[in-house]
Amino acid sequence: MNESEIKERIDAFSPLRHQGSIRILQDTTEFMAIGAGDVIELQGRYYYVRGEESEGRFGLEGEPKFWVKRVIDLADGSPKIVKLVFYEKFLMQLGAQQIRCFRSPRKEERILHKVWGDHRFMQGVTVQDVKGNPVRVLERIHGKSVYQVVNELNMGHEEYFTRTFPALFSNVVLCIEAIRDLHRMGEIHGDIRNDHVLVERGTAAYRWIDFDYTYEWAEQPFGADLFGLGNILLFVVGKGFHTIDELGRRLPAGKSLGEVFDAEDFSLFFNNRLINLKKLFPYVPDGLNVVLMHFSRGTEVFYETAQEILDDLKECGY
Amino acid sequence: MENKVLVAVDQSENALRAVEYVAGMMKHHPGCRIALHHVIISPSPDVVPDEAERKATVQRMREEALHQLEKAAHILTGGGIAEKSIHLNLQVCGESKSIVELILHEQRQGGYETVVVGRRGVSKREEFIFGSVSSKLIREARGCTVWVVE
Repeated sequence: MNESEIKERIDAFSPLRHQGSIRILQDTTEFMAIGAGDVIELQGRYYYVRGEESEGRFGLEGEPKFWVKRVIDLADGSPKIVKLVFYEKFLMQLGAQQIRCFRSPRKEERILHKVWGDHRFMQGVTVQDVKGNPVRVLERIHGKSVYQVVNELNMGHEEYFTRTFPALFSNVVLCIEAIRDLHRMGEIHGDIRNDHVLVERGTAAYRWIDFDYTYEWAEQPFGADLFGLGNILLFVVGKGFHTIDELGRRLPAGKSLGEVFDAEDFSLFFNNRLINLKKLFPYVPDGLNVVLMHFSRGTEVFYETAQEILDDLKECGY
Repeated sequence: MENKVLVAVDQSENALRAVEYVAGMMKHHPGCRIALHHVIISPSPDVVPDEAERKATVQRMREEALHQLEKAAHILTGGGIAEKSIHLNLQVCGESKSIVELILHEQRQGGYETVVVGRRGVSKREEFIFGSVSSKLIREARGCTVWVVE
C-alpha cells in the first residue's frame, strides 16, 4: 500500500480523520518512539497505532505500557494489540514473597503458537519486523475481567454463593484445566491474576491473557502459577478478599479476633487475608474449604500441579 | 564391600556441611566411593536472550562450581577420605530441568546406594513457589538411602 491508500484505510476504519503525513515504521526496536498516529508495517501488513495499553490493578488506573500498542489492522479494520519487544527484569511481589521475574517476548511467541486455535487463551501470531524483533499481533478481547465481574455483583455473599457462584465457578474450573493443559505443554502462564481472565462479551467464554512473564527456577516451575490459581479460587469463593480489618468489624458482640480466628486461617502469602472462608461463611462446603486451606499458613501440604487442584475440586463435586 | 555415596553439591554453605558430615561418616569405610555431583542449569533463552551472554554465564558458573567441588574434595581428604575414593562430577544441563531428576538419574546410572544433600532451610512460602530439592529428593528417591544434612 502507498501512503495515500494507507490514509484512505485509516479514514475508513478510524473514528478520527488522520491529519498530516504518516510515519510508516518497519523497525519497532525503539518502541517509546512509536505513538498514536504512526503506522507499523510488519511483512506487508499495516497497523495504525491508536495509543498504548495501560494496566491497573484492582480497578485502578495504571501506567501506560509503552511496548503494547492499541492498533487498527488496516487489512480489515479489526482492533488488535501489537506487543513490541521489551526485555525487562524486575522483582515481583507475590504477597510477602519477592521473586525475580523476566518479561520474555520469546516465551509469549512460543505459547501463542502452542495455543493457536484454543480459545481458552488469547489468540495471536508473531511476526518478525525488519530487525528480527518478534512482534506479537494479538486479538483484542472485549469483555470484563473476572475481577470486575465478581466485584460488580450487587448481592450479599449467601445469595451470590447460592445463585451465581455455581455457574461462575464451573468456568473457573475450566480456566484451571486450561492452565493444567498449558503446563502439560511444558509452559507456564507466569502472571496468573483474576484480572488476567477476561469474560468475553457475546460468547461469555473465560479467556486467559498476558503470558509473557517467566522465571528462572526449575524445581517447581508451576509454583507462581499455583499461587495465582489459589488467589483466584479464594477471590471467587469469597466474592472478594476478606481481610483482618473487615473481619474485625463483623465479629459477634463480645468476641475478639483471636477467639474466632487462628494464624493458620490466613494466607501463606498475605498475612491479613482470610483463607478459612468457612469460618465466615459456614455454608461453604467442607471439601471446597479444604482446597482453599492448601494456601493457608497452616498447610503442611502444597499443591504441586494444577491437576491436583482439579482432582480435589472434582472430589467435592466441582 | 563398596559403599557408593552421591553427594549433591551446590554453591551453598549447607552443601559443604553435608560434605563434612559424609567425611565423618565414611572415613572408617575404606571401600567407600564418594561422588561429589554439581549440576549447572544453563539460563533459559527466555530469561537471557543473548546467546553470548548465556555462554558467558555458564562459563562463570562452571568456574564457580569447579572451585566449590575442589573445596568439597579438600573437606573429604582433610576428613580422612582417600583421594582415590573421591570423584568429581560437574553436569551442565542445557535446558531448564529439575535438579532432583538429574541427581536421581545419576544415582540410578551410577548405582549409588546413598544420596546426600544439604538442607537449605527454605521458608514455607519459598518452598511453595520455588520447590525444595531436599524435600523432593526424599519423596522421589527409590531404591536408595537419602541423607538430608542440616
